[in-house]
Amino acid sequence: MALWSELSIDPEELGRKYRDWVARVEETHHGANHRVNQTAAFTPLSGPLEECTVALVSTAGVHLEDQPPFDTESIEGDPSYRIIPGDAAPNRLRFSHTHYDTSSARLDPNVVFPIDRLTELMNAGRIGEVAPFHIGMMGFNPDPTEVAERTAPEVAGLLADADVDVVILVPG
Amino acid sequence: MCHRSVGLIQGAIESAGISTVSLTLRPEITFHMRISRAAYVRFPLGNPLGEPNRPDQHHLVLGQLLELLELAQSPETVVELPFRWRRWDRWLG
Repeated sequence: MALWSELSIDPEELGRKYRDWVARVEETHHGANHRVNQTAAFTPLSGPLEECTVALVSTAGVHLEDQPPFDTESIEGDPSYRIIPGDAAPNRLRFSHTHYDTSSARLDPNVVFPIDRLTELMNAGRIGEVAPFHIGMMGFNPDPTEVAERTAPEVAGLLADADVDVVILVPG
Repeated sequence: MCHRSVGLIQGAIESAGISTVSLTLRPEITFHMRISRAAYVRFPLGNPLGEPNRPDQHHLVLGQLLELLELAQSPETVVELPFRWRRWDRWLG
């Protein structure tokens, strides 16, 4: 059953908070700039979820223990991404991110990267398949140019080539 | 900035012909990103799905995202989930 409602924060307040955030980022991060999507794309579901292949994309700095960690030292951020096998064991996941508290994620990766939950949804027949891979990123990028122009189209291409039908995105 | 990164990636994936939905803890950013579907939940950063080792909470949140995929009819659908941090009695007992 759908339990949601409209946003309880009115558009004027959302605008004010957004502009405050933009100003704060520009004050504190050299080279920061802002961009949003040019158009609001919309792809209807290709069919019932029960037949869909589903992938996760996380910006919580998730990667496998044997993959290079994200660069959390650079003031410019790190626009790279990691490919995480759909059946990766949660105890092989690591979280490299210094802009949110990773203690919950280290206790249970599913709080930011619900890889076990997705398998359970597949086993319960709610979704069709878990995708062959998921995508891990680290969301701290004061200048989003490279994320928008290189990372995003690359990641989208990989997922489309893998015949993924649905992507669930989760921040840190 | 995580939320802006999510928004940019989400837009590109949706443009590639894949249906997407995202969770957000910062609705003021997500609201302005021009994404397809998102759900705001009032949880602390680092806990978008709920508390560690509480699969019931995670499934409650994920279930709402799946329903949003099924029900949203137009882009820039940003909704608010009713769940409250560490006060789950109404939904989970």
